[in-house]
Amino acid sequence: MSADCEKIGDCEDARIQRLYEYLDGALTHEDLEEVRSHLEECTECAHEYDLECIIRSVVRRSCTEKAPDALKVNIMARISQIRVEAGH
Amino acid sequence: METHKTAQAPSEHDDPEVDVTEESDAARRQRFERDALEYVDQLYSAAMRMTRNPQDAEDLVQEAYTKAYSSFHQYRPGTNLKAWLYRILTNTYINLYRKRQRQPQQAATDTVEDWQMAKAAQHTSTGLRSAETEALDHLPDSDVKDALQAIPEEFRLAVYFADVEGFAYKEIAEILDIPIGTVMSRLHRGRKLLRGLLTDYARERGIKVEPKTPKAAPKKGGTKTTTSKNAESDAGTTGGTEEQEAGR
Repeated sequence: MSADCEKIGDCEDARIQRLYEYLDGALTHEDLEEVRSHLEECTECAHEYDLECIIRSVVRRSCTEKAPDALKVNIMARISQIRVEAGH
Repeated sequence: METHKTAQAPSEHDDPEVDVTEESDAARRQRFERDALEYVDQLYSAAMRMTRNPQDAEDLVQEAYTKAYSSFHQYRPGTNLKAWLYRILTNTYINLYRKRQRQPQQAATDTVEDWQMAKAAQHTSTGLRSAETEALDHLPDSDVKDALQAIPEEFRLAVYFADVEGFAYKEIAEILDIPIGTVMSRLHRGRKLLRGLLTDYARERGIKVEPKTPKAAPKKGGTKTTTSKNAESDAGTTGGTEEQEAGR
């Protein structure tokens, strides 16, 4: 950790939180710039950042499932049934 | 660069001009089929993270859509249909499914979490070697799903909504009906736990990827670890653990 890391958080936890917010698009423009420029200078924080990016992309990749084809059909059938029961 | 803030963008259909009060039943049904059913794969994926098995996930999604249709007249066109559907899905899940499994799940939560938290903290301070970073990137989907499944549910859902669906904190707060501060703390803890677990898996696999280093003859009857998930001790001695591990 370089002394500069204090700029984005005064302990490891705070810095990670900052990186999360950075990635989540939850920072103000000013804070965002501060993190961005720090990431350019600090390899350690940049490494943390990379890791977090990898984790997110891996999670997204792994959790994208396709619903069974029958599901849509079943849903619409069930909805039609409701309408019939409701007397439409 | 990561930009996946797509959640707010309304569907290109979901026309804000629709007058819900004047709409006929047939028109509403058509609008529902066109706009809401578009998200069926996404809701199904989320339902899989909740129920853990395909049949229950299907039932849950079907139930949620049925509920959504019944109250579709309350949805304001042009607002956030996807978040609206997720909220219904989550409520349906909580009411229908979670009750069944509540006791054992919640009893274990605290201990598991403390244990995992300690591990997560350890990992961040140790740092990763690049081979492990590589392994993280190449983790099989099954490992990632296992890891997500292993973190407490309230954290898992927050992480899923943020990192997979790209919902903003405010949207997650609405879906889960909790304050934004709680969303942030759940995300923080959930991501840390997830990272700890994934790093574990990656480390195991990362070590395996490396060429086998010639080892001194394995000590027989020495300090043998029987519950060996410890890839390090296996890597040099056994050749075929890869298959076994993959089936975990």
